[in-house]
Amino acid sequence: MISRAARRTAMFVLALVIVAAWWEFYKWVGPEDGGSILGMNILPKTTDRAMPHTWDMVGRLFENESTAADSRPLWVAVLGYAWYTFRLAIGGLLLGTAIGIGLAILMARFRVVERGLLPWVIMSQTVPLIALAPQVVSWSGRFDLFGWEWPRWASVCLLAAFLSFFPIAVGALRGLNSPPAAALELMDSYAASWWQTLWRLRLPASVSYLIPALKLGATASVIGVIVSEISTGIPGGIGRAVISYSQAATSDPEKLYGAVFGAAALGLVLYGLVVLMEVVVMRDRPQEEFS
Amino acid sequence: MTTSAVAVSKVSKVFNPGTPGQVDALVDIDLTIAPGEFVSLIGPSGCGKSTLLRLIADLIEPSGGTITINGKAARQARLDQEYGMAFQQAGLFEWRSVEKNIELPLELKGWDKTQRRERAHEMLELVKLPEFAGHMPWQLSGGMQQRIAIARALASSPSLLLMDEPFGALDEMTREHMQAELLRICAETHTTVVFVTHSIPEAVFLSDRVVVMSPRPGRITQTIDVELGGDRDEDTREAGGFYEKITEVREALRGIEQPVVGGVDDR
Repeated sequence: MISRAARRTAMFVLALVIVAAWWEFYKWVGPEDGGSILGMNILPKTTDRAMPHTWDMVGRLFENESTAADSRPLWVAVLGYAWYTFRLAIGGLLLGTAIGIGLAILMARFRVVERGLLPWVIMSQTVPLIALAPQVVSWSGRFDLFGWEWPRWASVCLLAAFLSFFPIAVGALRGLNSPPAAALELMDSYAASWWQTLWRLRLPASVSYLIPALKLGATASVIGVIVSEISTGIPGGIGRAVISYSQAATSDPEKLYGAVFGAAALGLVLYGLVVLMEVVVMRDRPQEEFS
Repeated sequence: MTTSAVAVSKVSKVFNPGTPGQVDALVDIDLTIAPGEFVSLIGPSGCGKSTLLRLIADLIEPSGGTITINGKAARQARLDQEYGMAFQQAGLFEWRSVEKNIELPLELKGWDKTQRRERAHEMLELVKLPEFAGHMPWQLSGGMQQRIAIARALASSPSLLLMDEPFGALDEMTREHMQAELLRICAETHTTVVFVTHSIPEAVFLSDRVVVMSPRPGRITQTIDVELGGDRDEDTREAGGFYEKITEVREALRGIEQPVVGGVDDR
């Protein structure tokens, strides 16, 4: 177990080094003004403004965010934004998981619901989030539920859930329908009710399908929050930092990449949490060959 | 007269009635099984032996006729957990430990935790695997898993055990061992058994009666009393009477017109 964890960490570091090396290699050999093939601009520019050196980008993290006297180091600022976005993404993932599993149970229970609902579930994913985000965010202040005024962050959670529920609903439905006929007959032979069968057979059987779905859902939730932040300009999170830093990108391009690193790290941490959960939940299950 | 353990009377089963895919899976089945009796159902694929087992278990409903278990209608018998069931695949739940698997039917019956645990350990003693209570199913061999499945089927002390080719996936050595174990367990618990199998020696070794079935439509063609006595062990397999009965069952099966193409799946 230890050696496997060590190997995984080593692979991760190696992958980072390889990406950085490619970046620097292309910056070194690529054309300054970019290039076009058959009239299409496909080669990116390699100027310091478009592609700063990796070490400059990392170094920028340890300089102050701005020239203001009370400014924090950039990494501290990015960490703060990432923490805000992280909490919204967790909220979105939890909400998406609840909705996804709820829908899957409904679809597994009633065949009619599956046939009626599944097309809508799939169609929901074709609605661009950018179009939806301003609508949902504008709910804040417009209605209150039993004295609880709908805050803007709740809208962002809802939008993140809108992205993350889909893989979870699909994965959970497959998992709930995964028990073999003999296992269902066994429960029938005990005269078990549908809910007893759900709780003792279908839900435990769906766990190994839910974990990969949660991994997709976790990433989707982060994307949902960041896209919602960017498209509505809600302050506090990494999405807003991307907007404000990109406005200064001509003079300080490394700063923008600081926010991008923050977003990437955020996605990794949330994914890592799901992997951690997998290790705990699956510890007694037969070991898969590859995971 | 005592109540029969299983009474099947004029039972028929038609799948997909009124459609081009209509299959007469079983017609005019009569079968009465006394308490404590061991009866095997044998026949080629598509003869409806698994269908008959599922009808007795009330997992499917007959198209005609009646089925009673210990004098109760099949539906009521299922609700009362009058029988236990074992399939070709042990079908243990991989997320439950061995003892928790055995406890499953007791949980559904609403037994409390200490009673369940106590009974699970009794059952593990019965199948001679007491040291594996805390193991996970995937850590056990196929034969051991099947023994746990039998322990699970018998956990709530049903008077009837329904088995659908339970040893079909095991190797020959394990299989013979399991057959002897099953006879011992049934003798200790006075359980009535209905046993579906493809194997003639298995049917003869285990049974008081072998019911030979034929396909299209599924029906009982012959019933053979085995009469090898109650005390059967490995020597029984080499006794002359054993071979005679095997020959008798084989000839009864040979009389059946074999399907040219694969029969309808008998599930």
